[in-house]
Amino acid sequence: MFPSGRRLDRSTALFVTLLAVGFLIATFDVRSSGDSITTVFRGGAQTLVAPVQQGVDFVIRPVVGFVDGISNIAGLSDQNVRLEAEVQRLEQRLLETAALERRVAELEAINDFAPPEDLATVTARIYSAGASTFDQIRLIDRGSDHGIVVGQAVVDEDGLIGRVDLVTKSSARVRLITDPLVSVGVRLQDTNQTGVTTGRGDELLRLDMFNATEPVREGAVVLTDGSLFPPGIVVGFADETKSADVGFALRTTVDPAAAFSQLDFVKIVVGWSPLEADPQVRDPLVDAPASTEPGAGRE
Amino acid sequence: MTNVKVIIALGLVLAAVIIQTTVFQHIRPFGYAPALGMLTVIALARYLDPEQALFVAFTGGFLQDILGGAPLGLWASTFTVIAFITLKIREREIAGTPIVLLGVFGLTVIGQFTYAILGTLFGQGIINRPGFLGDLLVPALYNVILAYPIFWLVKVAVRPPERSWAT
Repeated sequence: MFPSGRRLDRSTALFVTLLAVGFLIATFDVRSSGDSITTVFRGGAQTLVAPVQQGVDFVIRPVVGFVDGISNIAGLSDQNVRLEAEVQRLEQRLLETAALERRVAELEAINDFAPPEDLATVTARIYSAGASTFDQIRLIDRGSDHGIVVGQAVVDEDGLIGRVDLVTKSSARVRLITDPLVSVGVRLQDTNQTGVTTGRGDELLRLDMFNATEPVREGAVVLTDGSLFPPGIVVGFADETKSADVGFALRTTVDPAAAFSQLDFVKIVVGWSPLEADPQVRDPLVDAPASTEPGAGRE
Repeated sequence: MTNVKVIIALGLVLAAVIIQTTVFQHIRPFGYAPALGMLTVIALARYLDPEQALFVAFTGGFLQDILGGAPLGLWASTFTVIAFITLKIREREIAGTPIVLLGVFGLTVIGQFTYAILGTLFGQGIINRPGFLGDLLVPALYNVILAYPIFWLVKVAVRPPERSWAT
């Protein structure tokens, strides 16, 4: 790169300088948190670009829908046969579910879980995805003007989608539960044992259980436990039957309930806060109150 | 004229990033999308002056950072590296369709890998993700497919006087 007798040329010097600036910005962004200048800058830029992205999305959506429709016609016959078999299977499962629902209602009553249907939600449309294959984010067309704040859970009819992690006045960024930076406190519906799912960056979630006295059964329903997300939202289904490996520690995978590749409309749960649900669970960014009396600092 | 060329180039990168985040949200064959921003930067580095190319690559990467979910500066650094390598390859005056397409494939893989390393260094945990190899190779293949229209568009838009119709 530096032949003998030649000084560093201008483009190489500029390259090294820009690289250093890039590293400095990244370091600053990682080290700062909350309402830092980078967050404000990002929010401002997002506000500017969002209308353009929403416009492009508005134009492209019908075209994509039309192309999808055309490509689906060939597969409709096969799909009908599959759906008929699926209906029969689901009817069978419906009978089994009624018994299971009674058990869940009992468990929820015992554990004082509020059913997620009771929570206030805001409906939003997804208009943009991440800028690269590695990004596990979606942008929605609702922001602080609609009551959205950072940390709120995002769901659709299938289950948990993710968490709001950046908000502007008219848009917000949702980090999907498949992102390695997102962990969800969960419990298994059948055994009521708790654990934590973490994104792996692909279609599956990693489930870690630290006190697994019973095996995880394939297909077991995994629900939020109410620590950071509202309780009782379906996260996914256990991917395989697995028992504890060492002691009571167990690691397995969960197939998310939500179809992330087909997301269109989502709901943001605005009527729930982890601080209201459990005084033991606090926002790590919020300083603990000076008083140590029971109940101090609760809303 | 030089400034106009830089502004046009930045507009192209911004358009590429917006298309990436909107159109390729819906169109994802086999679950992957092309790295359109990176392809545009490679094309621009082929036709712009070296300093302009590096500046546009850094700024374009920064735009992609803003619209993405990772720390700011990672795509800016990655695009700068890709532009620099493209400039070094360009100096050797390599020509011919297979070589150019191979170059696009290789540069995209290098870019994705550079970003994965930087992302992992900055806590994004990219390298140990399942399916990481697919994240490297499939967008690179899509970029090869899109290379000629993008190169043509960039050439028309920034139109270098010394190479306007020759390459």
